[in-house]
Amino acid sequence: MTQAVDLKPGIAWFEKRGWQPFPFQLQSWEAYLSGYSGMVNAPTGAGKTYSLAMPILMEFLQTASDRSSEKNGLQAIWITPIRALTREIQSAFQEAAGELGLQWQIAIRSGDTSSSDRQKQKRRPPEVLITTPESLHLLLAAKGYPKYFSTLKTVVVDEWHELMGSKRGVQMELALSRLKGMLPELKVWGISATIGNMDEALSALMGNTLETGRYRVIRANIPKAIEIASVLPDEVERFPWAGHLGIKLIEKVIPIINQSQSTLIFTNTRAQCEIWYQNLLEVAPDLSGAIAMHHGSISRELRDWVEEALHEGKLKAVVCTSSLDLGVDFRPVETIVQIGSPKGVARFVQRAGRSGHQPGATSRIYFVPTHALELIEAAALRRAVTEGELESRIPYIRSFDVLVQYLVTLAVSEGFRPADIWPEVKGTFAFRSITEAEWAWCLNFITTGGEALQAYDEYRKVEVEDGLYKVNSRRTAMRHRLQIGTITSDSPLQVKYVGGKYIGNIEEWFISQIKPGDTFWFAGRSLELVRIKDMTAQVRRSKKKKGKIPSWLGGRMPLSSQLSASLRFKIGQLQRNELADIELQCLQPLIEVQRERSHVPGSEEFLMEYFSSREGHHLVVYPFEGRFVHEGLGALTAYRISRLSPISFSIAMNDYGFELLSDSPIPIEEALEQGLFSAEGLSADIQASINAAEMAKRRFRDIASIAGLVFKGYPGKQKRDRHLQSSSQLFFQVFNDYEPENLLLLQAYDELMAFQLEEARLRAALQRIRQQRVILSRPERATPFAFPIIVDRLRERLSSEKLEDRIRKMKLQLIRD
Amino acid sequence: MNIPHPQLSGTVQARVAGEKLWLHPFRAAYWEREKTLLIADLHLGKALHFRREGLPVPAAVSNENWDRLLALLLDFRPQRVLLLGDLFHSEYNREWEDFCQTVEQFDQVSFELIMGNHDFLPAEAYRAARLKIHEEQIQLGPFLLSHHPLEEVPEGLYNLAGHIHPCVFLQGSGRLRERLPCFHFGLQQGVLPAFGAFTGMAAVRPRQQDQVYVIAGEQVLEV
Repeated sequence: MTQAVDLKPGIAWFEKRGWQPFPFQLQSWEAYLSGYSGMVNAPTGAGKTYSLAMPILMEFLQTASDRSSEKNGLQAIWITPIRALTREIQSAFQEAAGELGLQWQIAIRSGDTSSSDRQKQKRRPPEVLITTPESLHLLLAAKGYPKYFSTLKTVVVDEWHELMGSKRGVQMELALSRLKGMLPELKVWGISATIGNMDEALSALMGNTLETGRYRVIRANIPKAIEIASVLPDEVERFPWAGHLGIKLIEKVIPIINQSQSTLIFTNTRAQCEIWYQNLLEVAPDLSGAIAMHHGSISRELRDWVEEALHEGKLKAVVCTSSLDLGVDFRPVETIVQIGSPKGVARFVQRAGRSGHQPGATSRIYFVPTHALELIEAAALRRAVTEGELESRIPYIRSFDVLVQYLVTLAVSEGFRPADIWPEVKGTFAFRSITEAEWAWCLNFITTGGEALQAYDEYRKVEVEDGLYKVNSRRTAMRHRLQIGTITSDSPLQVKYVGGKYIGNIEEWFISQIKPGDTFWFAGRSLELVRIKDMTAQVRRSKKKKGKIPSWLGGRMPLSSQLSASLRFKIGQLQRNELADIELQCLQPLIEVQRERSHVPGSEEFLMEYFSSREGHHLVVYPFEGRFVHEGLGALTAYRISRLSPISFSIAMNDYGFELLSDSPIPIEEALEQGLFSAEGLSADIQASINAAEMAKRRFRDIASIAGLVFKGYPGKQKRDRHLQSSSQLFFQVFNDYEPENLLLLQAYDELMAFQLEEARLRAALQRIRQQRVILSRPERATPFAFPIIVDRLRERLSSEKLEDRIRKMKLQLIRD
Repeated sequence: MNIPHPQLSGTVQARVAGEKLWLHPFRAAYWEREKTLLIADLHLGKALHFRREGLPVPAAVSNENWDRLLALLLDFRPQRVLLLGDLFHSEYNREWEDFCQTVEQFDQVSFELIMGNHDFLPAEAYRAARLKIHEEQIQLGPFLLSHHPLEEVPEGLYNLAGHIHPCVFLQGSGRLRERLPCFHFGLQQGVLPAFGAFTGMAAVRPRQQDQVYVIAGEQVLEV
């Protein structure tokens, strides 16, 4: 450090509380006070808030002429991805500020903040504003924002690793680029947990600040011990070969709950969460009142109550989903239970870290398999955690939907001049490769709607006056403000009691399956549907014990690349009978069945199984690469086989492999001879095999919504017409037909390849397969490996037969009565 | 049994209430004895209606409707075109004028509309289009023609209707599945597929003895 900085006030304050600053905290203080930007790499619960809150306060102590002033203007913005964290940060900040003699206001602004409070914040800016990326953009959409931000010294982005893996990261980068453009001295700091690509995380947050060298990376290096214990079935032979609920082992989870002060039970889906909650109460009625559930579709109010009760140690257990992955520290939580595969190492570590918050304490996590083979995953997880193989978060780049939204945001408030904004945008990580032609396309899009939409006034949002891009229509401005954000979802139905109390929301397609008078389970309650009115499902409490359980679409995560690799390693161990892990020992009898009926692949082998059943001819292939890669590989192999002769397939996959099922015999030997996995013509074959247009169309839904092409309606008055909701599909068609170079359209295909088909992983997998020896086994019936795949009902289809020929072989589904 | 039409590829014959109907893959039926073309649910103007809501429906969608209608008129050369309701989707617009012009081109043909739930243009608009209006169902030979399927069909008559936009699910071994628009002929009632491109479909559940013809691309097939 060239400049001496004074850390005494911070150290003194720590000492007064009987604390000692960690080295990483001191390093952050020093770097911050020396004017650097940077990143703090620290896990939750390590005191990361103080690593940046203290120097923000100390900077003011050192520079302000009048410390007791109440009107200092906005000093710092603290971004968090979720609202649950805001209160904790606020109280930490407020306490420290008060005790250092500063009359600071620490305010929260989120979607929940009332309009009058927002007005107050506007008139008298708080010194620290804790908020989300969306709310920050809303501030940029307000007239007079340059003045509002004029006193700002720093922006801290908490949990950056979370934001970075979504388009909210791009949104953050754009907001920072504007703030840095206005305030050259602005310091940008990130806080991130450890991920596989820390360097990229830094680059994405810093953008062009990286070139100036004025940044520091500070690592906490606080090791955390994790102990993984599997809940084992008594007899693996009688444990289900397929499934995803894990209810079979529920009796063994009860003692775990009883032994701990408080337990978090993580499930992978909201439906599974509902089911586990309900079943726990059935198996252990004495837990009633002492357990709760928490997932993203339950009302904020209920979730807040659960979090509060957890915090105060009032709950024995909470069944939850990823909704509790992040958030405040729940000190009473001693034990974590993970039901089913967590799909990734980092997620598993994160969840394990929700227990044993005291530094140095061991985090204990129990793994409950939902089917037999998942036991291998427990062993694979243990290995990956020990080796520290954490996943990378792939940052979104070139998200033109977010850029278009951002440009309209600027046009709504002050208006902008492209010459000013262009270098700022170009300076972000996400848009460093943007060309002038692409930039011109974006400007054209917001002013004329682009080539295909020129005829429609609706899409001419922004007008140009003397070179200033501006929105003049109040209606357009209001609609835009309502739409800011990158989190999109189907407009869900609200679930309310007849009296009006809000319980949560549910997807329309689920409600469409039940009739008034039917009972369903939601938020851990048995509810009777009374009527559906204006996007609201009105319900009343029901005494019935049985009812449907809602499911929510989406959310089938693939096994991560790291965990897949570890899984293959463990299968290799099984093949060599190296059974150090207790899970592998437990699984041994099942592996013997697999060996008897077919084969257990060694690490140099690639297993395929071909057999026939009443259902048809099955070809099951085991790359062990996660379901997204299998989706691509399945379509690719189906396509390549279908070129040999007309044949129709239905394709199923899970994280371990995929199945091609056909009504006619599959010419597998011929296909292998012709190079089923060869790299030749790969790109073309992938494009031809997957229904790329159909898949991209699904991706395009979010893009159209973020780019403001579809308006979802005013709050509480969502558009009712279903046909208007399918409108994004129309845009897709229009662009496909009339403007194939449309950047939003191309973005849909890019996202499809990068995030859904995981093209890079797919290519790597093929490369690996080509070096392995193919074992084509012909079992007489389904093997333990094949079973979980072939029972899957969700299937893709591919055919090289003419539709007519296919229809001629089919039967009509007849009425059942 | 699929008896193909001697000239028109993809078109097959059906026997309904003792009458011979040609089922065309463009989703229309031709009643040979009466030289009458039967079309249900054109939903003209739907595309423009969407556009007015700010949704860009490609022009190709409405062009396809016109192309198919013209092809049918030229292929079958009917004396009479019976539209089983929901001809026009929305308030007066340009597509209506296009329709009027098409009608003018075929001045030997009688165009008749049995009113449906979407047909709410003023009466003079229909008159100007030389369109004969039937407010209720009409009887022709054994057929009772209506927009909504009738709840009760008198003994000895057969109801032909639209409105439903019927489709069926087909399944084959190897878990293959297809969902296709269809003609669905029951014992006393038959429903035609919706003619209009860009309209939704509703699955019907046929009974064992019903006749179902699906539109498999360019081919009508009995299943």
